Amino acid sequence: MPLLWLILSVLAIATTGYVLGRARVMAGAGGDSRDLHSLPSYYGYNVALKVVLPSFLLLLVWLLAQPLIVNGTVAADIPESAIPDGSSRDLIMSEVRRTAEGLDNAVAQGLMTEDFARSARSDFNDVTQRLKDAGQIVTAQVTQPILEAAQRYRIMNDTGNLILSALVILVALAGAAWGMREMRPEFRARNVVERVVHGVLVAAASVAILTTVGIVLSLVFNTIEFFRLYPAWDFFFGTTWSPSFTGRGGSSELGVLPLLWGTFYISIVALLVAVPVGLFAAIYLSEYATPRVRSVAKPMLEVLAGIPTIVYGLFALLTVGPLLMAVFGKDGLGWMQAGTAVMTAGLVMGIMLIPFVSSLSDDIINSVPQAMRDGSYGLGATKSETIRQVVLPAALPGIVGAILLAASRAIGETMIVVLGAGAAARLSLNPFEAMTTVTAKIVSQLTGDADFASPEALVAFALGMTLFVITLGLNIFALYIVRKYREQYE
Amino acid sequence: MTDATLNTGGDRPGSSLATQDARTKRRNRAEARFKAYGLTAILIGIFFLVVLAVSIIRSGSPAFTRTIVGVEFTITQPQIEAAEGELFKTKAYQTLFIDALKQQLDARGMEMEFDEESIERLLGKVGSTLREYYQANPGEIGTPVSFELAASSRVDGYLNGRLTRDSVKDSRFLMAADLDLVDALQEAGIVRSSLNWTFITGADSGVDNPGGAGIGASVVGSFFMMLVVLVLSLPIGVAASIYLEEFAPQNRFTDLIEVNISNLAAVPSIVFGILGLAVFIQFAHLPQSAPLVGGLVLTLMTLPTIIISTRASLRAVPPSIRDAALGVGASKMQSVFHHVLPLAMPGILTGTIIGLAQALGETAPLLLIGMVGFVARGYPDGVVSGFMDPNSAMPAQIYTWAARADPSFYEKAWGGIIVLLVFLLTMNIIAIILRRRFERRW
Amino acid sequence: MYDAPNLAENKVTQDKIKIAARKVQVYYGDTHAIKDVDVDILDNTVTAFIGPSGCGKSTFLRCINRMNDTIDICRVQGDILLDGQDIYDKRVDPVQLRAKVGMVFQKPNPFPKSIYDNVAYGPRIHGLARTKADLDEIVEKSLRRAALWTEAKDRLDQPGTGLSGGQQQRLCIARAVATAPEVLLMDEPCSALDPIATAQVEELIDELRQDYSVVIVTHSMQQAARVSQKTAFFHLGNLVEYGDTGTIFTNPVDERTESYITGRIG
Repeated sequence: MPLLWLILSVLAIATTGYVLGRARVMAGAGGDSRDLHSLPSYYGYNVALKVVLPSFLLLLVWLLAQPLIVNGTVAADIPESAIPDGSSRDLIMSEVRRTAEGLDNAVAQGLMTEDFARSARSDFNDVTQRLKDAGQIVTAQVTQPILEAAQRYRIMNDTGNLILSALVILVALAGAAWGMREMRPEFRARNVVERVVHGVLVAAASVAILTTVGIVLSLVFNTIEFFRLYPAWDFFFGTTWSPSFTGRGGSSELGVLPLLWGTFYISIVALLVAVPVGLFAAIYLSEYATPRVRSVAKPMLEVLAGIPTIVYGLFALLTVGPLLMAVFGKDGLGWMQAGTAVMTAGLVMGIMLIPFVSSLSDDIINSVPQAMRDGSYGLGATKSETIRQVVLPAALPGIVGAILLAASRAIGETMIVVLGAGAAARLSLNPFEAMTTVTAKIVSQLTGDADFASPEALVAFALGMTLFVITLGLNIFALYIVRKYREQYE
Repeated sequence: MTDATLNTGGDRPGSSLATQDARTKRRNRAEARFKAYGLTAILIGIFFLVVLAVSIIRSGSPAFTRTIVGVEFTITQPQIEAAEGELFKTKAYQTLFIDALKQQLDARGMEMEFDEESIERLLGKVGSTLREYYQANPGEIGTPVSFELAASSRVDGYLNGRLTRDSVKDSRFLMAADLDLVDALQEAGIVRSSLNWTFITGADSGVDNPGGAGIGASVVGSFFMMLVVLVLSLPIGVAASIYLEEFAPQNRFTDLIEVNISNLAAVPSIVFGILGLAVFIQFAHLPQSAPLVGGLVLTLMTLPTIIISTRASLRAVPPSIRDAALGVGASKMQSVFHHVLPLAMPGILTGTIIGLAQALGETAPLLLIGMVGFVARGYPDGVVSGFMDPNSAMPAQIYTWAARADPSFYEKAWGGIIVLLVFLLTMNIIAIILRRRFERRW
Repeated sequence: MYDAPNLAENKVTQDKIKIAARKVQVYYGDTHAIKDVDVDILDNTVTAFIGPSGCGKSTFLRCINRMNDTIDICRVQGDILLDGQDIYDKRVDPVQLRAKVGMVFQKPNPFPKSIYDNVAYGPRIHGLARTKADLDEIVEKSLRRAALWTEAKDRLDQPGTGLSGGQQQRLCIARAVATAPEVLLMDEPCSALDPIATAQVEELIDELRQDYSVVIVTHSMQQAARVSQKTAFFHLGNLVEYGDTGTIFTNPVDERTESYITGRIG
């Protein structure tokens, strides 16, 4: 792989630069490192950094830019006539890329010569056949324009890679020369190296900002794209969710309300399980339990928090669903049609959230000052009276914050609802019916066969945006409440 | 002013302390009730944990065993020649096998009538297995060979109680009558169960072959993903924490970073999947379903966790250490990298392992970057293809099995969960040991 | 010797024994915090516990209404009799005991409720009021008793935490008084207050003596001299000396008491 070799050669230049730079400055100081401004290794690092940083930066920018430029140029050259009805330039381009990749692999396997791959002009039937023989996945027939575009694509990429390799090596060598010229004993190598390291630290810390920006941008652009194809009003206020499966748009109804309803209904069921159990568990652990009970029970509850959500999903689908069916299904009370339902997903999600609620509430109850309890005991209140009438009211803001955080978890939870809640989007009050949520539909819209540019796929980004805004709002609000609460007792 | 009326204001008698009045009794009952609620809540939590553990172990352990039919079997040169002369060669081998099986049953005094179809339903195409074996090992002709043939997953299901005689519907997969034969073979000791290596080391199979499905390939996929996460998130996380904890000035930019980190920690994981899809696959054209992309997405997800725990361990190093280093003329950078960082390392590693364990179990983002649609049929060849070629990951593989229509795959999904949890448990135990071993109190 | 101007006024007017402690031992885990304490506390009297920090005076105070029960590692041995009845008897419910023996703490600790609810808390849990009017009356009387009524009567529905430090402590006293206790224990009630608030609370303590037996733990010898009729000096877990306040401050028997009062230890 040439990229790997390119990286390795840059690293080799850097290593050589380190050794030479160190040797040169030592020679300049007459072999006595005490005459140097910094430790000898800093001079070596200075050269190595000047090799690695510019060349890797160039490499990164080039690798990001090249596909965009090549794609753009090739796509623009495809004649309008070559795009069949109902298709798009994007679809044709993905076929072009597939063909180009097929050619690459066929050449690599020795089934085609490089010349043949480049000049297989007229014989595109033959090319299709040969590609199929080589085990490449190609569409039924590689058409002339696609083949030509694919060949252009390959050539441009090859040229690009060649120029890239040359440039990167050149920049690396230039960096080495620059670094070597600075190798005088009075050069403040440590300060320079430390400034660079400081820069690297800042860059690492900025990854968090970049991630947020990445999330927001990828959501916003695709959401705008979606609203160009589908009216925003119908999305936010539509009461029907029925995407067409053709992936060609047209007859889809993409109203978010049934999904939001399903999301909130399941979250409410989950909170109805998690909040009482979690809160009482926290009360027991912080006010009643002996240290020994606490040291056993607390980690056991926290194990529930460490279990991956896929496990809970499977638990909902295969254990809780059938169990509920046995009680509420047609053999029992007859309220339930299938094992996947709001109740199933909500119950299991509630179990998942118990440790979340209990450990947060535990912290918050523990931060209520002991003086408050003493005051109440001193008046002859029992423990439960103290907890209900003094401790809980004092801890209330914090507990509300904890519950909001749990709610945001429930709303964003995916695997449990994908496996346990069913797939039907409906506005219903019956908790034993299957419903679906925003997260489950994001998964199903993006893992289906729908074309990426169709409203059926793009709606997932609008759903993601909705989810992101709701959970972010809840989190910020909850963290604000909890922080205010903490400050009160500090 | 006097307060004479106050003491007589209530109905509380100034009586003996040793007898509880009615009100106190009522209050104490309320107290006991309240305490019982708390205890019940704890017990409910633990009860759920136990139910979860029991259903995982009970439903998942059958995935690790499979039913084997062990037949010792001699085939002679003339028999081979005769079989090779037939039109349906594998069928002839199958007849030879059936005869041998019948003989063995007869020898144990159990006469059974069964036909070729039932053998095919129970064991699959036995004939071709035998023929391939003898073509590969011509030297074995004429000597007794003990064959161990894997029975179909339905036989597994019958023997471990998932299927019962009543629940079996006659189909081309299994007839109720076949179960008589299974019983007889079991009585004769020909059918037994053995460790299912295919499940542990194998790759995924097609939708019609639950018996051949294995988790091995996706363990490798997860491994490459975790490698990416470790290599990226540890240095970036540590560098970011060092900056925030040791160098960052009090300004808007620092606040912005802090706010971003705490919010990213609470963003739903599926949103990270959308980010991965849009940025790494749509925009950067990285290959779909590749462990590299999965690793990148999980890195972004794990970073806030690692940064939060790393900052806590850096903060735990007392300022006196920094002052001591600065006092002998070290630069700020040297004091951090030579003294603070090594002292904080155990805590950082513990946090990283816990972050990795979280990432290992994460499923939702992997669905969006295509690690589910892909059927991992083999191992990657080589390191580069390990990162770049489509593969599955453990949780994604479990989801794939759970989403399949054939209930035989559910058992595999539970089994996969056991494997996943064993990895998670190991990582957490390592983290705990690390913490116990190197924890330092200042 | 300490020369308080009004020591002569600190006369004991009662001799009915309200609380009698005999051979009381308290252990915190392995630490022996209180050793062999014998003391008789009189009704309608202010008794001050003085002594250096960590001498066990607060610990002993907390034994009298069994507040130490809330600390897991604390064990109490010996007898403490309230009106002749052993309060550590198994049949005694600490909840009932604490209704009779109220307590005011070092730091004002109003509940995060309104002023009214703070005072009404005790009467409510003990069922002292049959009607809302009863409760209103108790609240008003208690607040008047604690000299807080004029300041608080217009803001009864506002949170108790919004009051100033001195007002908060008087609110806590009103809260304790509202339960109609027979004994009032005060654990350094003025240590968190400024001098003016302290003076107000001290005046209050003197008035409370009319109806209650008051036990006060204090760091300030001036305060003990000002408010109490009897004084007990604790040192290293022992009750060194117990007697009339005037005697203790002017003519101590034990040299440790003398050293403490003259400021040589403590």
